[in-house]
Amino acid sequence: MKKLSILLLALVAGALAVWYVPLQAAVRPPKLQYQRLVLPNGLVVILHQDKSTPIVHVELWYHVGSKNERPGRTGFAHFFEHMMFKGSRNVEPEQHTSIVASVGGQANAYTNEDTTVFWQTIPAQYLPLVLWMEADRMASLRIDEKTFVAEREVVKEERRMRIENPPYGLLNELISFHAYDVHPYKHPVIGSMTDLNAATIADVREFYSTYYVPENATLMIVGDFDTDTAIELVNRHFGQVPKAAKPVPRDIPQEPQHTKERRVTVEQPWPLPAVVVTYQVPYNGHPDSYPMFVMSKTLSDGNTARIYRKLVYETGLALTAFGSSSFLEQPGIFSAVALVNPGKSPDEVEKALVAEFDKLKDGITERELQRAKNQFARDYILSRLSIKEKASQLGHAEVIQKDMATADGEFDTFLAVSQDDVKRVARKYFVPEGRMIMRVMPRGGARQ
Amino acid sequence: MTIKAIVTLGFFGALTGIVAANPELLRPGGASRGEGRVRSDAQSRVDWPRQNPPPPLPPRPVTFPPYELRKLANGMQVVLVSQNEQPAISVRLLVRAGAAQDPKGKHGLAMMTATLLDQGAGRRTAEQIADEIDFIGGALNTGAGTDLSFINAVVMKDSYHVALDLLSSVVQQPTFAQEEIDRQKQQALSALKVSAEDPESVADRIINRLIYGFHPYGLPGAGTAESLTGLTRNDLVDFHRKYFVPNNALIAVVGDITPDDAMAGLEKYFASWKPGEVPAMQVTEPPDATRRVIVIDKKDAVQTEIRVGHIAIPRKHNDYEAIHQAVKILGGEGANRLQQVLRSQKQLTYGASADLDTYKWAGAVIAETDTQTANTAEALRVMVDEFTRLQRERVNDSELEGAQDYMVGHFPLTIEVPDAIATQVLNQLFYELPVEDLPRYRERVLRVTPDEIQRVARWFIRPSQLSVVLVGDADRFVNDLKGVGFGTFERIPIERVDLLAADFLKPAARADVR
Repeated sequence: MKKLSILLLALVAGALAVWYVPLQAAVRPPKLQYQRLVLPNGLVVILHQDKSTPIVHVELWYHVGSKNERPGRTGFAHFFEHMMFKGSRNVEPEQHTSIVASVGGQANAYTNEDTTVFWQTIPAQYLPLVLWMEADRMASLRIDEKTFVAEREVVKEERRMRIENPPYGLLNELISFHAYDVHPYKHPVIGSMTDLNAATIADVREFYSTYYVPENATLMIVGDFDTDTAIELVNRHFGQVPKAAKPVPRDIPQEPQHTKERRVTVEQPWPLPAVVVTYQVPYNGHPDSYPMFVMSKTLSDGNTARIYRKLVYETGLALTAFGSSSFLEQPGIFSAVALVNPGKSPDEVEKALVAEFDKLKDGITERELQRAKNQFARDYILSRLSIKEKASQLGHAEVIQKDMATADGEFDTFLAVSQDDVKRVARKYFVPEGRMIMRVMPRGGARQ
Repeated sequence: MTIKAIVTLGFFGALTGIVAANPELLRPGGASRGEGRVRSDAQSRVDWPRQNPPPPLPPRPVTFPPYELRKLANGMQVVLVSQNEQPAISVRLLVRAGAAQDPKGKHGLAMMTATLLDQGAGRRTAEQIADEIDFIGGALNTGAGTDLSFINAVVMKDSYHVALDLLSSVVQQPTFAQEEIDRQKQQALSALKVSAEDPESVADRIINRLIYGFHPYGLPGAGTAESLTGLTRNDLVDFHRKYFVPNNALIAVVGDITPDDAMAGLEKYFASWKPGEVPAMQVTEPPDATRRVIVIDKKDAVQTEIRVGHIAIPRKHNDYEAIHQAVKILGGEGANRLQQVLRSQKQLTYGASADLDTYKWAGAVIAETDTQTANTAEALRVMVDEFTRLQRERVNDSELEGAQDYMVGHFPLTIEVPDAIATQVLNQLFYELPVEDLPRYRERVLRVTPDEIQRVARWFIRPSQLSVVLVGDADRFVNDLKGVGFGTFERIPIERVDLLAADFLKPAARADVR
């Protein structure tokens, strides 16, 4: 009885909502304008003007990440990111960040599977300063044994802090390790400490001369600047960085289509068991990646999303449950994770998670599709508020998608996804052969 | 399109050999002071020139962006920030009551009340609220902090009224359905179970209890298993009725909408919200700073989470600016002695910092870091030394200038997005500080002198009365503590932590207490 009335209410509310909610997707965000230039040495430069606040964001993407690492040298790309703060011809060790801070700016860097990104946001008048410093470390990094050995200790602490000490810190690493066989996405970005200990100063120098070259870099300048001045400054500081002596290697081992479902059970000293389900999915920007993204939304964005609704809200099977598709340059995984609530069984949680993927093969409702598109439009708009966010979108389009037009055009690509696309893509990828199921059980049996 | 490279070797006098080791070199007009060392170990792939840093371009004017303050007849304070760069609107509502208002024994009540707000309200069930906000591509969040509760919504500009309709309903007429309470209680209990094994979270909770004692700021806002289990629907209804009234609330509307349209919407959805009398908070003083060291034993830890701190000042305090800058020098952005010593010089950690937490009634200075187990005592010693140094030694002019340059220069970065502007205005209103101070930020910062820092550091930094929390594999570091002056400590197994016990120990078999 009660159930029925809730259902009726939901239908009524649904109908009401349609009255005052426009069914046409989404307010269209303003076009993201940009200029793209290439220096003779191969450096790609992207400019986007935004004069609303007198600040500017400079971001330099090197197209090298953990997927470029050789076996036995994992963690190298990230370690090298640290080395870039160890001084260059005209900038003393550790001074890059404090110089930027001394003018009120912020500077930092990050490394992921595909890229290493250095950024600084500064008051607009200091644009020459940061371009000068970025060019300086692109051309003349100091690499000496002493800083190399010392910085390794900092990275070890970083690994302990992020991965080893907190409960579930190791979860992503376990997922990748079991979901891939040969692709370097298998290895964690921060790498293995054994590999880092084995690295030599010669490796560091080799990595620098191979990947930290202008043709492997994209410079984003976003914010309040005068275009002619910016171009002149870029030429002045980066124009003299020489071309690389050899082409940047791009031979990365590719993951084959898996032919058999894999099941893994491991133990970790964590408070609640975790259940993970992954499937192989296409690279970001592949036509199938857009319906895949719709399904990420349908499964896991908001309290209406199917995984939350079923595993957390309706059944209380999980403390938290979520899933999403990877945004990687090469084929990756869709992964869903649930932390099993005390008193609930991992079997049940696994069944419920797999069932949600299977249900997608019957398609999603028109309303779910519209919701996903509206949520996408929201994310799209809210991820272009600050100049830092805009730079990040531009960099992704240029480096990962290799098509600047997607920085703006992807909005329309996304809105064109149909219910049939979703069904077709779900049937193509969410197959048992491409699946990995992992359970992480509390060490020493479940603690209640 | 490609651009021609312009080779400018020598443009800045390539052979003058200035090394930008000193941030002072970069002050406008000061770009060529001093003679730098010439280094020869750079890995240049070209004969890369030695250069001075380039001079800055002419500065552009920075002004605090426009905003409007208004008020509804029922007492609700309104902040409006209009900016049309992106077609979105965010609405943020604050209620002046948070975990600090949890009644005795009912820890977690503010958090649970806030969590339940959007789990059914007015004519809508929890599912209907979720469906409505998700479908329009909006987001709705509720929660409670130390002094306040909040509801935030973000929507596209064509859905402003949908957002207000939902928001006004969840803040005024939450259903508090028993089944939703039970569901959320279960979730909160599971979450406690996870956080009880998270060293970072345990360290934060214990340092707060140590510093604030049984003052409300010292007690667990996320509740305890016992307090959460004991909460009833009446408790929630009561808390909501007492504090969720318009004369105890602030709202900000931010984004692509004119102030008048924003205000018209607020009038329509909030004018009928009835004001009420808000019970005054029974303020007790937090205890005096007392030296006490708590070691939480977690056998499988590979690092020790370290917290060191003591009581400081509430947000509204005459010495706020000077104390704030003193703590910046100790461990804040733009300065940070702790990071310099612990990371850059000694490689003991990935990160170290110190924060001045200032709430309505009290505040604390807390330094934190994490280090591998074997280095626990050494890291602790360094941190305590830095408290001592800050108290005893006058900061030198250039160090303070560095910190102030960061703060002043950083100002335009803090007014970039409309939500950040609204946050600053809301903060001033919430702590009853003058909003006229916002555009005077630069003057306020620069007014503080090294003498001023020394004066405040002398009275508020108390190196001999520090509270210390160490969460890690105790067997592997406790023997080193005596050597760094901390031979007296209380040791508690992580699974026996009780945040409400005077000795932090669950009343069962007593552990090894020294």
